[in-house]
Amino acid sequence: METKQVEKPVQLQTSLLGGKLSDESFITLFMVGVLLLVFAIACLVVPNFYKPQNILNLITNNWFVIILGIGVTFVLITGNFDMSVGGNIALTGVLSVYFCQGFNVSQNALANGLGLPYVVAVGLALLCAMGVGAVNAFFIAKLKVPSIIVTLGTMMLARGAAQVITQGAQRNTSLPDAFGFLGSWGIPGTSIRISVLVMIALIIIAFVFEKKTVFARRIYLIGANPEAARLSGINVSKYLTVLYIISALLAGITGILLASEFKAGVSSRAMGYEFDALVIALLGGVSIAGGFGSVLGMFVGAIILSVVTSAATGMLLSPDWQFILKAVVTFIAIVSQRFALERRKG
Amino acid sequence: MNDKTVGISSEEHITVTNTKKESLRIQLDQSATVRSNIKRYYIYVVLVLIVFVFSVVKLDKFSFSEFFDRGHFLSPDSVINMLRSAVPILTLSGAFTLLMISGYIDLSVGSAMSLSAVVFSLMILNGFSFPFAFIITLTLGIVMGFLNGYLVMKLRITPVIATLVTLSLFKGVALLIVPDGLSAIKGSADKVMPAWINDYARKDVLFGLPWAFWVAVLVIVVLVVVQRRTLLGKYAAAIGGNRLAAELSGINAVRMVWLLYIIVGFFAALAGMARASYMSLGDPLSGDQMELACIIAVLLGGTAFSGGEGSVAKTMVGALIIISVTTGLMTVIPAYWQTVAMGSVLLAAVALNHLLVRDKVKA
Repeated sequence: METKQVEKPVQLQTSLLGGKLSDESFITLFMVGVLLLVFAIACLVVPNFYKPQNILNLITNNWFVIILGIGVTFVLITGNFDMSVGGNIALTGVLSVYFCQGFNVSQNALANGLGLPYVVAVGLALLCAMGVGAVNAFFIAKLKVPSIIVTLGTMMLARGAAQVITQGAQRNTSLPDAFGFLGSWGIPGTSIRISVLVMIALIIIAFVFEKKTVFARRIYLIGANPEAARLSGINVSKYLTVLYIISALLAGITGILLASEFKAGVSSRAMGYEFDALVIALLGGVSIAGGFGSVLGMFVGAIILSVVTSAATGMLLSPDWQFILKAVVTFIAIVSQRFALERRKG
Repeated sequence: MNDKTVGISSEEHITVTNTKKESLRIQLDQSATVRSNIKRYYIYVVLVLIVFVFSVVKLDKFSFSEFFDRGHFLSPDSVINMLRSAVPILTLSGAFTLLMISGYIDLSVGSAMSLSAVVFSLMILNGFSFPFAFIITLTLGIVMGFLNGYLVMKLRITPVIATLVTLSLFKGVALLIVPDGLSAIKGSADKVMPAWINDYARKDVLFGLPWAFWVAVLVIVVLVVVQRRTLLGKYAAAIGGNRLAAELSGINAVRMVWLLYIIVGFFAALAGMARASYMSLGDPLSGDQMELACIIAVLLGGTAFSGGEGSVAKTMVGALIIISVTTGLMTVIPAYWQTVAMGSVLLAAVALNHLLVRDKVKA
């Protein structure tokens, strides 16, 4: 199904040291240019768009998609999809609520939980999230089933489990006081909350991981040519397993932070986030066909999407436009990036 | 081979080894036949089992006479209801199978259905005649399929990504068409939805079943014939088996797969109209997760993930399994179990498919 149609040579040397710009850095720079262009247009069309507070919001309001994007980017580089992240967020959020709700405190079934301490609840919820990732990995790495089919299945499984636990609604009562802390505490006087700090930390870790570790370089090799990677002694299924579990863990962290922010476990939380995470990765130049892309590019892509959607809101377009906008932006990004790469090679 | 040259000195030896080989071959044949028989018939067994379980689970005491009584799973009313609600997936999953046999996928079918439903009911609401609205919507389906084919085959964007993009696009257009403040295209105080919008998918024409069902049956028959008896079906399998080899032997893969995408779009529009007529409104979310239902039906039907082999007829059995499970579960557990049930069925289908289809390919 995932036919490798576009072959792009992969440059394995780290760019800045070698003096010559790698294709990945080139695309990232290209998308930074696009970002500036889109931002300039938005400033012209939408009043007050250029204000520092708005620019800060463009980054801080999208922390959840960016965290998801990290995992999805690495999975995409190996040539696979992870569509289960949205469902996983809902599941982890609901579980973190369920585990720490008071035990047998009310007549209402939705107010009763397991009564565990919040820290334990978070730990268990994250374990469950990683379990979803492990199921993905089992089907994809061991049974060699196309990732899109498996992760759509686990998406339904995770969201379905969240719906069962909340009986199709949400759980938000009899929570311990500690529950709201993670999602609401912020640096006083700013709009920067813990979740944003987590996002920044994860981006830095992912960036170093991508540039400096052998593990990351091998991910690129797997994406470029899985067969060659296998023959050169790389345990492909081990790498896929680790990446899917990491992606699921990141989704779990997002789910816990979101549940804490809203002080509720909602089964319909994060509907469609898997698509947003895929879109920002594609906007950032990650290519499914041939081990190509970078975390930094994904970050730039996230800001582009954020500029486009918030400019659309600023122009008072109906929220229904977001689907069309995302489709058009992604399409233009894929085509223009390919065009730019082809021009670069002459 | 070796036995014959080496063992030439003794005739007896030859005959012995030959009989040994013969019996071994028969054994191999038998195990291969058993396996291919399992592969061939398991889907029917699964369907019968599921229907049996749901028929029995609500009985107070076990008696066959109650099986078809009013209020039970296999009562005539219940079966007719299930078949009527199965119309969209029966209409669509045949074409979807052909596309998957050729090794490609279309995740936008659900959104294409929704958009068709919205456009169709909008036209009916604004006084268009049925045939006119019908033909325009089918044309829309062809255009949507053409667009998918263009992105995948001409611009060579990975099928999953290209059709996810059009999924978002079609869904966005459908949501935009529906006026602000309404959840669907439906009759209001100043504009009344004509009652005959229901006729296509609800009015009894034969054996208690409506036009939409008989159209779906016709579609299935045509697609089974297309898959088994025409060049398009053979080419689809050839492209799915090995696209390069197919192209080298003179098949225009780009044009063939493009055509398949158009066919899928066409039937998505047909399915969307059946859904709109059934609900007598145009819901922009009515086709959501249809792509998953199609994938489940196709995988249950034994079509290989990577394409190359598969059967339209068996996909239909897969579709009936999905309808039985969703309808049957509604009678035993609360509605919020539905998603988790579908997800489990999908993963079970994947695992079953892996066990049976993969093994056969290796053997």
